Amino acid sequence: MKKKLLSCALCAALPLASAHAELSFNGFANIVAGKASSNDQIQGYDDDLTFKQDSLFAIQATTELGEGLTATAQIMSRGENDWDTEFEWAYLGYQINEDFKVLAGRQRLPLYMYSDFVDVSYAYPWITPPNGVYGIELNRFDGLSGVYNFTLGEFDSTAQFIFGSSDDTFDLGGETINSEFEDIFGGVITLTRDWLTLRAAFFDSTLTIPIDGFAQLADAWQQVPGYEHVSEQLVITEDQSQFLELGFRIDYHNILLSGEFISVENEDTPQADDESWYLTAGYRFDNVLVHVTYGADEANTNDITKNLPTGDNAALNQLTAITRGAVDTLVVDSSYYTVGARWDFHDSAALKVEFTSFDDDQFNQDANLVRTALVTVF
Amino acid sequence: MKLFKQLSLALLVAASSNAMADVAVIVNPANANTLSDSDISRAFLGKLKTFSDGQAINAVNSKANGQARVEFEKMVLKKSPAQVKAYWSKRLFTGKGKPLKELASDADVLSFVASTPNAIGYVDASQVNDSVKVIKTL
Repeated sequence: MKKKLLSCALCAALPLASAHAELSFNGFANIVAGKASSNDQIQGYDDDLTFKQDSLFAIQATTELGEGLTATAQIMSRGENDWDTEFEWAYLGYQINEDFKVLAGRQRLPLYMYSDFVDVSYAYPWITPPNGVYGIELNRFDGLSGVYNFTLGEFDSTAQFIFGSSDDTFDLGGETINSEFEDIFGGVITLTRDWLTLRAAFFDSTLTIPIDGFAQLADAWQQVPGYEHVSEQLVITEDQSQFLELGFRIDYHNILLSGEFISVENEDTPQADDESWYLTAGYRFDNVLVHVTYGADEANTNDITKNLPTGDNAALNQLTAITRGAVDTLVVDSSYYTVGARWDFHDSAALKVEFTSFDDDQFNQDANLVRTALVTVF
Repeated sequence: MKLFKQLSLALLVAASSNAMADVAVIVNPANANTLSDSDISRAFLGKLKTFSDGQAINAVNSKANGQARVEFEKMVLKKSPAQVKAYWSKRLFTGKGKPLKELASDADVLSFVASTPNAIGYVDASQVNDSVKVIKTL
């Protein structure tokens, strides 16, 4: 019955919409092939050539409904999700006045400088932005945002404020994790003048990320008199997390320089903080851009493991050892460099090649990754 | 040998600069607003939306890969055609703006600007007639 009513409402609305609103379609696609060095696994690649990991295909539909109201939907299929199609974006935008716009619905979470168009590889030099910084499993949110454009001296400036939540699933060593980010709030300010862009972002959210192994350890500590408090430090349940980003980009004649720094602080979670940065330098020779990137990632764990009991009780000693072992897997100390080129061989398409060498000091592992990509907008 | 190389390079530079025609930035004759170089650049990047008298700016592009377009983007926007394309794809897929309307020929740009009070465009300077006002020649 409800369905019938809805379809009736749609058929009533449709002729109206088609008479006044023009629907425009645009799309982009990245076809990426990659292979890691022998016996290594890195960024979802192993030593067999694969096209699935970073390839994607998307269509965006926008319509202007008049009086400053727009509706936008972006539908995307990702190779890494077996080409399942998902609504990446679906929001209504309302231009209140020339400088102020409100967006409601599912939209991109602007954590990073390249977040807003992170999947449009055509719009930036690399095949994908540096993974260390761009590694947070939180790309989009459902909620509200306000975008305010203004000039600050000679700078074209944009401030965006957001409020919303996000739940998503991701893969952690074969285990599917359902992550929840609630009460995400924060803002971004971007200043642009000619060849210079400066950016700063801050977000706060409440995290719930259930991981089986840690939940079992937490249960075990619940049984240890005097150490019950350890439990809540081992699980990520409604814990506060703060995110800070600073970035810059210089695009001066043929020279490109870009860098970002992020810092994440978590309260009462096994991983206490996380810092990542990268610097990219590039030079444009006519329609070929060559670039190099260096980046480093560091994460530290919660102090809780330092004060775990050891003594005569063998079972307790073992629990302490397992807990320390598990928490220590969250320590990150790694760096990487990438050398790549982008060739704009066509009006709407570019070919990219990249070599990345990863150096993991924590687990003493090195790995290399070679990728090539055909990226396009249409 | 070295001299020959330098000489041929000099010839090449001379030849290519000869081949470049001047580009004129044009507005409707009724448009009395003044625009700085930075204003012109921002108008064609979709960042400046209104003239100083409050009228909305209606900027139009000439044909993709045409000489006037390539020259204009190089001199005013300081970007290559591929960079401009990347810039607009970024704006488009973040919902910040649509690429400018593109007209097929200099004649189309001239007649559009002549008949649209808030228009701004650019054409090969040799094509300019008095139906439009030139605000800058590159």
